[in-house]
Amino acid sequence: MQSDYNTHIKRIVLLLVVAAVLGFLAKKFATPTSFGKYGHYRADAIQDEVDRPLRHMTNESCLSCHPFEWELHEQGRHKTISCEFCHGTYADHVQDGKFAGRLPVKKGEEIKTLCLRCHNKAIKARPKDVIKTVEMPRHLEDQHVQVTHICNQCHHVHAPLIYINHAQKVLGIEEANNGKQ
Amino acid sequence: MESSKFAIDKDRRTFVKNVLKGTIAGSLLLVIPMGGASGSLEVPAQIPGIRGRKYDMFKQRFAFIVNITRCIGCGSCCVADKREYNVPDGYYRTWVERYIKDFDGNVYVDCPNGGLDGYQTPRADIPGKVRDTFFVPKLCNMCKKPSCVQVCPVGATFKTPDGFVLVDKERCVGCGYCIQACPYSVRFLNPVTHTADKCTWCYHRVRKGLLPACVNVCPANARKFGDLNDPESEVTRILASPDVITVLKPELGNMPALYYEGLRREVVYECGP
Repeated sequence: MQSDYNTHIKRIVLLLVVAAVLGFLAKKFATPTSFGKYGHYRADAIQDEVDRPLRHMTNESCLSCHPFEWELHEQGRHKTISCEFCHGTYADHVQDGKFAGRLPVKKGEEIKTLCLRCHNKAIKARPKDVIKTVEMPRHLEDQHVQVTHICNQCHHVHAPLIYINHAQKVLGIEEANNGKQ
Repeated sequence: MESSKFAIDKDRRTFVKNVLKGTIAGSLLLVIPMGGASGSLEVPAQIPGIRGRKYDMFKQRFAFIVNITRCIGCGSCCVADKREYNVPDGYYRTWVERYIKDFDGNVYVDCPNGGLDGYQTPRADIPGKVRDTFFVPKLCNMCKKPSCVQVCPVGATFKTPDGFVLVDKERCVGCGYCIQACPYSVRFLNPVTHTADKCTWCYHRVRKGLLPACVNVCPANARKFGDLNDPESEVTRILASPDVITVLKPELGNMPALYYEGLRREVVYECGP
């Protein structure tokens, strides 16, 4: 004989239904709308990443205000160096097309440290066909200048051989630097 | 008489119209802000074919190539990266390692401050005679089968249809599974946002037609980035050339989209050749 007492079953079924509805609603409201558009992730996150503000620009972005330096830099051997590496980021200098802040100017020993980041011969791992390296202070001794000299006293930082080539031309010294400055 | 008067009137009318047009156009030029998002695109594109057309994520393919034989270890890339993303001190999205091999087969690797300060001093603690020494820049390998995406429990790290592995900062819960799963150790837990963070190959720059910040600043052209759909791009030419192109840890099957030229065996395999 079947019992009439089935309240407990009704309760369990009701509980399961309520849990299923709650679960469904939770999933519906907690899942971001673009989730699953391309895969198991929020598709709008791609746009969020695209909208990240640019802090570095290119060397061309400096041209409009600094044409003299740009031209000098472009014809010299340092043309592959980014302006922003030595000077700081574009975003710290210009915001919305307007001047936003002065970039720090490297002076004295800072310049030497910056030059030796690339040109230090003591670091043997540098490929010789890519970069010309010097040994300090031997380079200064070889050039018969004081060992306290800073690199930019002879080398223009934007076009490192421009002064040297010019001086050699004036003095009539024929030491080929392949015509590059 | 009537007709000539009419002509003068017409002239006057057009003159007034033109003056008005000029004034409006001129004042608009002053009012509309130059710069910002639109101004940033005034610089010429570095990657051709991205700007000025609809970006189809499902068709784009990119590659990053690092040429070890050209890296001078200046650390420009590391500095640019830190500045572009304001990476907290002690964390690195990209870094440059120095390898030193001696004649006994020992390999010494160091990376002071991730290469941020460059390499100013030679290593003094090498007992043997140095056989070979070189720099190896490291960054996200943008695997075609990324382990980090597979382990993320909340779908916060993902591979975009155009092949970039990115992190969704809003969804990341900072569990760190992906950091452990990454075979190339490029991920870290950002102490500011408390979410996983890593190199994105400067996705925001690439979509604007600019090169990644590290590629843009590299003075030795050791880092190359380009469009694989463009048959004229440098990366396409390199990958189609007979040069030896390797990826890191190929035995793991992650299939990186970051390729290396001139890499030595000691770097390629985790447990030595």
